Amino acid sequence: MIYRMRHTTLYAYSRPVDLSAHILHLTPRSLPGQRVIAQALHPLPAPTRLSTGIDHYGNVVTRLFLEGSHRELEVAAEATVEVGFAPPPAAALTPAWEAVVRTAATAWQVAEFTYPSAMAPYDAAVGAYAGSSFTPGCPVLAGLIDLTSRIKRDFKFRSGVTDIATPVSRVLAERAGVCQDFSHLMIVGLRALGLPARYVSGYLRTKPPPGVKRRVGADASHAWVGAWLGAEFGWVDFDPTNDLIVQDEHIILAWGRDFADVSPMYGIIQGGGAHTLKVGVDLEPLGGE
Amino acid sequence: MIPGPTALDEMADGRGGLRPHWQELLGTLVGLGTEQLIERATMLDRFFAEEGVTALLPGQGAATWRCDPVPLPIRPAEFAALEAGLAQRAALLDATLADLYGPQTLLEHGIIPPALVYPNPGFLRPCRSLPVAGQLQLYAADLIRGPDGAWRVLADRTNAPHGMAYALENRRALSKTIPEIFRARQLRRMRPFFDTWQADLQRIAPGATGNPSLVLLSPGPRSAFWFEHVVLARELSCTLVEGGDLTVRDGQVFLKTLGGLRKVDVVLRRHDGRSIDPLELDGGDGLATGIPGLLDAARQGCLVITNAPGSDLAESPALAAFLPEIAAHFGMGPLLLPSVPTLWLGSPGALAQVMQNPAQWLLRPALDGVEPPVPLAELSPALRDAALARAAASPREYAASLALPPSVAPCIGATGFEPRPIVLRLFLVRDGDGWQAMQGGLARALAPADALSGRLPRQAVAKDVWIASEDTGDLQGPSAFAVAALPIRRATGELPSRAADNFFWFGRYLERLEGAARLLRTTIIRLERASLSPRETAELRSLAACLQASYLIDDDAARGAGTPAFPRAILGLLRPEARIPTLAAHLGRMLELLRDRLTGEMYGAASQAIRELQAALRAIPTGRGEHPRALAQFSEALGRVLVFAAMVSGLAAENMVQGGGRLFLDLGRRLERARSITSELATLLDEPLAATQAARLEPSLRLALELRDSVITYRSRYVTVLQAAPVLDLVLAEEGNPRGLAFQLLAMREALTRLGDSQGSPLLATVDTILAEARSLAAGIAAAPRQAEAATRLPPRLDALHESLGELSDAVSRRWFALLPEPRAVGGGLAAPEAAQDATEGATA
Repeated sequence: MIYRMRHTTLYAYSRPVDLSAHILHLTPRSLPGQRVIAQALHPLPAPTRLSTGIDHYGNVVTRLFLEGSHRELEVAAEATVEVGFAPPPAAALTPAWEAVVRTAATAWQVAEFTYPSAMAPYDAAVGAYAGSSFTPGCPVLAGLIDLTSRIKRDFKFRSGVTDIATPVSRVLAERAGVCQDFSHLMIVGLRALGLPARYVSGYLRTKPPPGVKRRVGADASHAWVGAWLGAEFGWVDFDPTNDLIVQDEHIILAWGRDFADVSPMYGIIQGGGAHTLKVGVDLEPLGGE
Repeated sequence: MIPGPTALDEMADGRGGLRPHWQELLGTLVGLGTEQLIERATMLDRFFAEEGVTALLPGQGAATWRCDPVPLPIRPAEFAALEAGLAQRAALLDATLADLYGPQTLLEHGIIPPALVYPNPGFLRPCRSLPVAGQLQLYAADLIRGPDGAWRVLADRTNAPHGMAYALENRRALSKTIPEIFRARQLRRMRPFFDTWQADLQRIAPGATGNPSLVLLSPGPRSAFWFEHVVLARELSCTLVEGGDLTVRDGQVFLKTLGGLRKVDVVLRRHDGRSIDPLELDGGDGLATGIPGLLDAARQGCLVITNAPGSDLAESPALAAFLPEIAAHFGMGPLLLPSVPTLWLGSPGALAQVMQNPAQWLLRPALDGVEPPVPLAELSPALRDAALARAAASPREYAASLALPPSVAPCIGATGFEPRPIVLRLFLVRDGDGWQAMQGGLARALAPADALSGRLPRQAVAKDVWIASEDTGDLQGPSAFAVAALPIRRATGELPSRAADNFFWFGRYLERLEGAARLLRTTIIRLERASLSPRETAELRSLAACLQASYLIDDDAARGAGTPAFPRAILGLLRPEARIPTLAAHLGRMLELLRDRLTGEMYGAASQAIRELQAALRAIPTGRGEHPRALAQFSEALGRVLVFAAMVSGLAAENMVQGGGRLFLDLGRRLERARSITSELATLLDEPLAATQAARLEPSLRLALELRDSVITYRSRYVTVLQAAPVLDLVLAEEGNPRGLAFQLLAMREALTRLGDSQGSPLLATVDTILAEARSLAAGIAAAPRQAEAATRLPPRLDALHESLGELSDAVSRRWFALLPEPRAVGGGLAAPEAAQDATEGATA
């Protein structure tokens, strides 16, 4: 499936900003299962300096530095991407989750995602919630599918009740939140069991395939969870907001330990007074099914 | 706790004799006598207090540094072995960091467990894309010597090791207070270490500029190690800067100076790496103290930061358990200088080994090398069980090191010699391809409460470390220490804008305090009189109005002038949060901020004077009861303020010629004084009744002279007749009156001109306008048929002058200091509803 994405971010300031620096995770990764056909960033006004690199997680990261006085900054990120992730293996073929825990503890580039992180700190209650999906000896994928479904079932998608600072313990108590809350909750739960889990930032197609109900979280940045099934099967992505295994309706921008590693656009400004932020996301299929 | 009998004695050989390298030294010390040695120890304490040498020992606030009169001699052959072993460790840890921030073969091959790297808050992921060669330029190690006589490393210091300035200072203090022990002794010199360091700073500078610009980035005077930062900046010819002094433009880092932006090539980092760039790192107070874009500049090679940010990763205590394997992985052979035997409790069997005999072990966090190790033997059974239970619950978060009793060395205690356990810190700096050790070091004698464990000292006393010199070319006798304390070797004389700003405000606060002191003393003289004449009562009311105009007392208190409540209100100014102590404390802080810009003499004298002033202020009884002496004591303390202000002027004229600092100090004082003249005069002349009864103005005129210290000048010219025109001429227009307005304006003019402003510049034009108005005010009174009446109409014009002077201050700030607004974070949220955005910010900051 080929998609054209457009993500615009507009900052408007009440007073001129003298200097600003921004760090962007707005360029889709090239991956097996995700081919970036074209991509471009259009910052306005043009930055004094723009540097692009690959971060610790392999994500494309862009830094913008604006040194002229400005009252607005708009960044339009555009890309054409073909996605089609391999379907997951049969759950019964995947190793017992305890075996995955053992392997993960010493696996380079995997163990990192078993530790608590700033926005996904250890929480025993969330661990217990996740734990009931992982009965002894249960194949890891079976447990993951079950947990993904339970989150969709047990939690209400409601925007405005949480923000980025809301701890997962409160999300668990309130049984409500948005995609990043559910993702952080699932990550905290999996890591509490010793299972590697990472936060994935990206998009979900705006209009669903014919005959399918409109997905939750479209028209916005979306977030979901990558989980590791052991050395043989590697990473598979789960969308707890929609109870889906990611295949061809999602585009991956970046992944990290939690949201803080992959914030789409974060910046430091000097001057500027109050500011407002407008974000628009559009993901249209171009066909290729 | 008294060290166990197994501890090795540095001095005694255990067979009733002295070790050879102690014999001569101990002979000299014993020859001085116990009483004399205790006296010298007290002198040493005083020396450090006077020099303002402070350091934060773990678990304490800033405390004055202390050094023991007995040095720790180390045999040259033994030192050579330590140097070789530490050089190998430095290279090993450097390679380890370069690997962990680079290809991570240590993790890929399972040489070290991921649990030592990824959960460590010191592992800075954005630094993985920085150039990884040369992570360490400076390395230090804390060593203890066990009962078997072997030195072992208790802690590796790879972040921003501290203590070199203290080592220098110990040597200097000792040579001054106990010169006898240096006679006929040849010691290796420590200064070549700094020359090597400076050469390496030049070597690592990017590009071939020939004269790279070096800065030492400090968190500022709030840092416990500010003293060391000041000394290092001077020794290494770096400009001492804080985050706010630097700015990144187009991928390059610049220092904001009065002369504009100046490119920076090398940052000697004394700032926490975790908060050095708020754009990419979210640690600590990065938003306030970091430099957005710094890592981007380093990443593209325009700037070198040393030690590399993130180098504290190698301080993890648990890493010691893997060093032999790491050395083998890099083909570096066996460790010449091993660590104190250490286990990572995440390793199979390690926890059981500790459980078997807990009293043998020091429990430490696996990753945090700064946290003091806990000696399990010293814990109560309940606390020990709790500590072990925590370790058993998450073993990978703990390490355990063998609790070796450190060796002991003689120290001077309250009653004479006493043995104390020793921790030795040695320093190495990169010297091209190899490493060079400082030929000396910093030993610390643990206080009884700290002993046995080998943990970092809490009440430790430092010791000078001596390495005897075998050849005379390296000779250092007492004469070599007699040089001035801190020679200034600044690479560039350009004044950072922040320093100029600080000088300006130091001047303003100093004058504000001096003005308050004059006003209060004038007031207190009247309060001390048994009864007041009507004239004096009128004066007191005018003074109360002036005190109120200077924000010293409030409206209620001012109305109470002449009642018993008034002296209480005056004494209320001594409350810790009230104006006078606050101003004194503020001056003390400003002095710290300027420390790197002042000579040692000026800093020492001024900071001591402020401390004495604060002590004098605190000593005044301000309780509820009437203290007959309280006002007199207050007045005496205020007298100190006047002496202090005069002293600063004198010291500034004599000692301080650095790149315009004095001019800004002067500018600040003159401006503040001009503002108090206008405010004071506007208050005093606010006497509507004097318009018809000229005599009513007399108390005001008398005070105008008295507050400006101009009574004698006036009398010498006009005898005792008080008239508005001559009084106001003297206060406003007389160019020769150093306490008058015209004099201040001309002095500002002079300072601005010397700073480079030329005729017609906006600042000079403003000064000229104010001066013309002041002259016109005085001339207007002289020409008026009824002077007193004309004078009562001046306050609005004086108020306007006061305003203009305030605007002039703003203009000076804009012209010279041009500080950018505070950095703030934006974004970090998903496309969430608007309402959530505010809370979003900061979450990732």
